[in-house]
Amino acid sequence: MVYSIRHVTSFVYEPAIRESVMEVRVQPRNEARQRCLTFSLDISPRANIMTYRDFLGNTVHHFDIPGRHSQFKVTAQALVDVQAVPAPTPGAVGSWADLDSMVASGDFSEMLLPSQFAQSTELLRELTAELRLERSGDPLERMLELNHAIYGAFDYVQNVTSVDSPIDDALRDRKGVCQDLSHIMIAIVRELGVPCRYVSGYLCQRDGAHDRSADGATHAWLEAFLPGPGWVSFDPTNDLVGGERHIRVAVGRDYADVPPTRGVYKGDAESELSVAVMVTPAEAPSSEEITPRTVLRTRSPNRAGWEQFQHEQQQQ
Amino acid sequence: MNTAMNASAMTLLKTLSSSGTVRNAFPNYELDESYDEMFSSTGIPRDHYHALYRTLLELPPEELRKSQQAADLSFLHQGITFTVYDNKEGTERIFPNDLLPRIIPGEEWRKIEAGLTQRIAALNLFLKDIYHEGHILADKIIPRELVYSCRHFRREMRGLNVPRDIYVSICGSDLVRLPDGSFAVLEDNLRVPSGVSYMLANRKVLKRVFPTLFRDYGVCPIDHYTSALLAILRSLAPVNSAGQNEPSIALLTPGVFNSAYFEHTFLAQQMGIELVEGRDLLVHDNIVYMRTTSGLRRVDVIYRRVDDDFLDPITFRPDSNLGVPGLFNAYRAGNVALANAIGTGVADDKAIYAYVPSIVKYYLGEDEILPNIKTYLLTEKSELGYVLDNMDKLVIKAVGESGGYGMLIGPHSTAEQREEFRARIIAQPRNYIAQPTLALSSAPCFLDGGVEARHVDLRPYILFNGSVTLVPGGLTRVALRRGSLVVNSSQGGGSKDTWVLRREIEVD
Repeated sequence: MVYSIRHVTSFVYEPAIRESVMEVRVQPRNEARQRCLTFSLDISPRANIMTYRDFLGNTVHHFDIPGRHSQFKVTAQALVDVQAVPAPTPGAVGSWADLDSMVASGDFSEMLLPSQFAQSTELLRELTAELRLERSGDPLERMLELNHAIYGAFDYVQNVTSVDSPIDDALRDRKGVCQDLSHIMIAIVRELGVPCRYVSGYLCQRDGAHDRSADGATHAWLEAFLPGPGWVSFDPTNDLVGGERHIRVAVGRDYADVPPTRGVYKGDAESELSVAVMVTPAEAPSSEEITPRTVLRTRSPNRAGWEQFQHEQQQQ
Repeated sequence: MNTAMNASAMTLLKTLSSSGTVRNAFPNYELDESYDEMFSSTGIPRDHYHALYRTLLELPPEELRKSQQAADLSFLHQGITFTVYDNKEGTERIFPNDLLPRIIPGEEWRKIEAGLTQRIAALNLFLKDIYHEGHILADKIIPRELVYSCRHFRREMRGLNVPRDIYVSICGSDLVRLPDGSFAVLEDNLRVPSGVSYMLANRKVLKRVFPTLFRDYGVCPIDHYTSALLAILRSLAPVNSAGQNEPSIALLTPGVFNSAYFEHTFLAQQMGIELVEGRDLLVHDNIVYMRTTSGLRRVDVIYRRVDDDFLDPITFRPDSNLGVPGLFNAYRAGNVALANAIGTGVADDKAIYAYVPSIVKYYLGEDEILPNIKTYLLTEKSELGYVLDNMDKLVIKAVGESGGYGMLIGPHSTAEQREEFRARIIAQPRNYIAQPTLALSSAPCFLDGGVEARHVDLRPYILFNGSVTLVPGGLTRVALRRGSLVVNSSQGGGSKDTWVLRREIEVD
């Protein structure tokens, strides 16, 4: 399936800011199951765009705008071909012992150790105890159960957590968005000794699918390493095993490794961040202009030095 | 010793020594189980200390006191200060200097030099390896999770090539002398080691205070340190830079509130390079520029005295105002060199330290010349149990800290402090290590009008660009409080000049 993706991030400042420096991770990955056919990135005001691949193989673009500016817009467009992969079935996956021996001989520590957003807490241990999760039977079945259990245990509610919320914020009331649910599941999966990583990307909404989230935002899910199939995607927000509708942009230990945008500027201003994401099957190209949705309004504290750009939470 | 000492003085000394009254000259000079730099265990002055010993006997205490005052004044006038954190009183202090030089014979120094040369070569190879192929991890010499869980491991450095593969341009390793007289490495400082300005200042003052003694001893010079440092920094300049012939070099300081700000201004001035703070630099299109009164000027090499965490708010701590946004990407692109490289702190993590002998063996195929101190890793169940049972005998250190912060000295601790550390260790065993309490060697110091013994260590400064430049000497740090074993300047320590002797001592 070929998708057309348009991802627009805009910032408006009053009064104008200066010396913006930004890094973005918005180019879909080019790999075995997914090919990024075309990609373009447009920055306004104009800036020289430079690029590199980070240590996890994600493509990063970065740029700076030295002069004064009161608006700032990043538009990414891509055409991506995602191949359907049959979901692994229990029985096709090796045992816990196989897993342990693969982990012992490979380079998995990064995705096994706790990370900034995916680490054990008192509230997480309570949830784990409730779920009665243990290393028994088939590892894939346990992962599927966990994916389903997290889906069931949490209400999908926007704006109760923010982009830098620790998992306890979502655990307390069992409410949150995909970023929170993914961090929670990653922390639990790693506790079971299964390497697990965060995926930032897009989900193509489909009529009739019971996706809990609305259009218009980036998505996040996770991948667990299982003996046999290797990295398998789980989407606890939608009770899905990742497949043809999930478009991968970046992988990391958690959100902190792969925010779609990250940057700083100088200035003391009221700011407004708007984000629009549209993912459509390419054979039915949509010409309609998308309207960015305002996601955040803030005022930077009045002080000297660098201010961080507001960042979009992965909500979908 | 040189020929200055005449035979009758020698005879007198020997007579006094054998009768055990030599030390009576210094009634407060106490010898304990430690190695003393000046006296053998029987109270006889060591050969290389004879001349200093004689000077101390001959000079009236009043003269010494005057000299000490002159020295103190000189430090005050030079503005040689440092800052102590966590102290409610005024934080800026004059760095206490002790008048009496610590003397190291040439043949001892040669072994130290060989040991440090071997060590830095191995640690630099280790850093290159773990940020690239990771052979030492795949070969299971060091547990992978131990490296990846280091607070100072910078995964952003993986796969990134640094100029000439030099990660550590400047290293300050702390050496201690054990009761048997041998030197061992207590820790390595591979991030932003400080104190070299005190080494240079101590020498400048002592040369004035003891001109004759200094000349007669044949002390190796150390004045070439800053020119050697400048040469090292120049050698890192990117080859594609327009300023290749005359690279533009800056020293990046966190600013006036940093404990080593004096040193930053001193070194920049000595080398004739710009002293800048983060706000003086900017990155545009992956090139680093300095804001000057005549516009922007490109920067090729940065001697940074700012920790990794604070260097670039885009890549590292987003709340840092000390760094330069975009600096890491300019570095990644090879448009600017940093000394030291980013991520070197993983090799001076105190848990990784325990593996340095294995690191030397792995990369160089050699046994270590300078040994380590026995180190208990608390991630090992058996060692954890032993440490928890013997906290009153051990020194416990936080693995990612330096400057003597986050440390428990068992024999000098209260039960309450031990309980606090016990809880912290149990919660996060990876964050602590334990070592036996060391009997650091002692050296003569001029205190309260008399000569007394105080514990000392030694921090030589190693410059590395593939080969090693080691100025003979270093900073001898002194635990000024009687009986104290803590020499860190941030913990109330002082320093003294270190004289490495050019030729062998000949007595008689």
